[in-house]
Amino acid sequence: MRALCWNGVNDLRVETVDDPRILNPSDVILKVRLSTTCGSDLHLIDGLIPTMRSGDVLGHEFMGEIVEVGREVTKVKKGDRVVVPSFISCGQCWYCQHDLYSLCDTSHPKPELQEPLLGYPTAGIYAYSHAFGGYAGSHAEYIRVPFANTDCFVVPDGVADEAALFISDAAPTGFMGADFCNIQPGDVIAVWGCGGVGLMAQQGAMILGAERVIAIDRYPERLAQAEAFGAIPIDYTKVDVVEALKELTGGRGPDACIDAVGMEADGTGLQHAYDRVKQALYMETDRGAALRQAMLAVRKGGTLSILGVYGLMDKFPLGLLMNKGVTVRTAQQHGQAYVPRLLEHAQRGELTPAALATHRFSLEDSPTGYHMFKHKEDGCLRAVFAP
Amino acid sequence: MDDAATETTLDADARAAVTIGRPADELRALWLRPDTQSRIWAHFADVTPSNDRTAAWITHGPAGGEYRWRTEVQETGTHEVRWSTLDGADVAHAGSLAFRPAPGDRGTELHLDVRFDPPGGAVGQVVGKLFHIVPREIVLKALYRFRALALTGEIPTTDPQPAARKGGSDR
Repeated sequence: MRALCWNGVNDLRVETVDDPRILNPSDVILKVRLSTTCGSDLHLIDGLIPTMRSGDVLGHEFMGEIVEVGREVTKVKKGDRVVVPSFISCGQCWYCQHDLYSLCDTSHPKPELQEPLLGYPTAGIYAYSHAFGGYAGSHAEYIRVPFANTDCFVVPDGVADEAALFISDAAPTGFMGADFCNIQPGDVIAVWGCGGVGLMAQQGAMILGAERVIAIDRYPERLAQAEAFGAIPIDYTKVDVVEALKELTGGRGPDACIDAVGMEADGTGLQHAYDRVKQALYMETDRGAALRQAMLAVRKGGTLSILGVYGLMDKFPLGLLMNKGVTVRTAQQHGQAYVPRLLEHAQRGELTPAALATHRFSLEDSPTGYHMFKHKEDGCLRAVFAP
Repeated sequence: MDDAATETTLDADARAAVTIGRPADELRALWLRPDTQSRIWAHFADVTPSNDRTAAWITHGPAGGEYRWRTEVQETGTHEVRWSTLDGADVAHAGSLAFRPAPGDRGTELHLDVRFDPPGGAVGQVVGKLFHIVPREIVLKALYRFRALALTGEIPTTDPQPAARKGGSDR
């Protein structure tokens, strides 16, 4: 089959590789219908995440049709149109049974690579380096999906492929970030980042009853999409964000701040220049401007919900959190806990993730898609590949 | 072995623990199944059961060296499994696995302790050189694999899978 493969820093090629096959009894093989780029892929492509191997198949956000099932698969069948969360979760361990699916105890085939870094292995994830399991990704004609009874969700009628696609990752990640905020009547939620995850966090906060949602970014087309979703846009290159948030909240500050930016945050000023230099020298992997701003802006006793992917960051102003009594919540997506209700919200038109699909490519043209996505050319929010 | 001897050979000791949400008797029975041993140690050695109690192990060093030994499981109480290598082992060692109740609803704690003891001393380093893996990594991975098997009936793997290397597949 054909697949988009990583061959080194910024070296992506579509190549012919073997078809995947069933390896364990609860596996299925999916014919990929749609697969999309994610900001976290850029960390891999740029070489900020170690333990990638030349030839790895990329892609972790996808949906498709089941074409083959293992002998223990009972909850889905051949021909089903399904969406699959990016993290592979068994559904049987203590973590899965406590809705902490991205921390699954059993799905990581190479835990010895990750245990020294994190203390304990996380769940495996598709195409996110060998330290995260080394599973082959979805930018391909077919993909093997383990634990199909837990990880495959049938897409109901009325939810298009383009909408279901983002219920694999952007939507559950964003929605989980809003859920972390424990939103109460009257709450104002500020979201840094209007990429796929940030926009889904904004819609999630609205669904969960936020009084007002504020969206922070610098790209006009992304801010326009946030506004179309009902958020109040702030361009951080034009105003002092912390002052603007105080103005919008009567001096209280947002009740919760969601960071949907992560380690490749753009920024302005000296701190940003310092971060860029250290990152270039591999002294840290993260730039962190958005996170520091969110820590300053959040109200006393508020919540900081961190969805951006981070590696190493110094100059982390912990005293801001301590002295202000801030609650920090963070995780990689516990998608399996959210996908069923997100499919219902999409079916009722309350969640509209298809808006993220701004650019569509064939699999053969996927390197061009990544280039446009990385450089945000032509207002590219997400590049979608149809193998 | 007395306490003083234990102290002086600590480098040779590989210990690891995991907690599994299943009862101890079920886990002990699964551990003692001969095919279980073959599956959970597959990252390290080819284990061929001879009968319910003994097995033949073969592992390969990075320079093409081949190392063989036989193990025998000893009679123990219901909260423990012990085994040791028989005479003539290339890598002599003894192992014990203790089953202890975990707090609350968390199931059972498994504490695995493998003591490598080939002639020549500095044992942990020797094993590391032979296999290019530290002993703790070997036993911890076996415990993780056992936990996956006990909870899901399968061991996670990516082997083989599509990749643009080695002719199109990760083997």
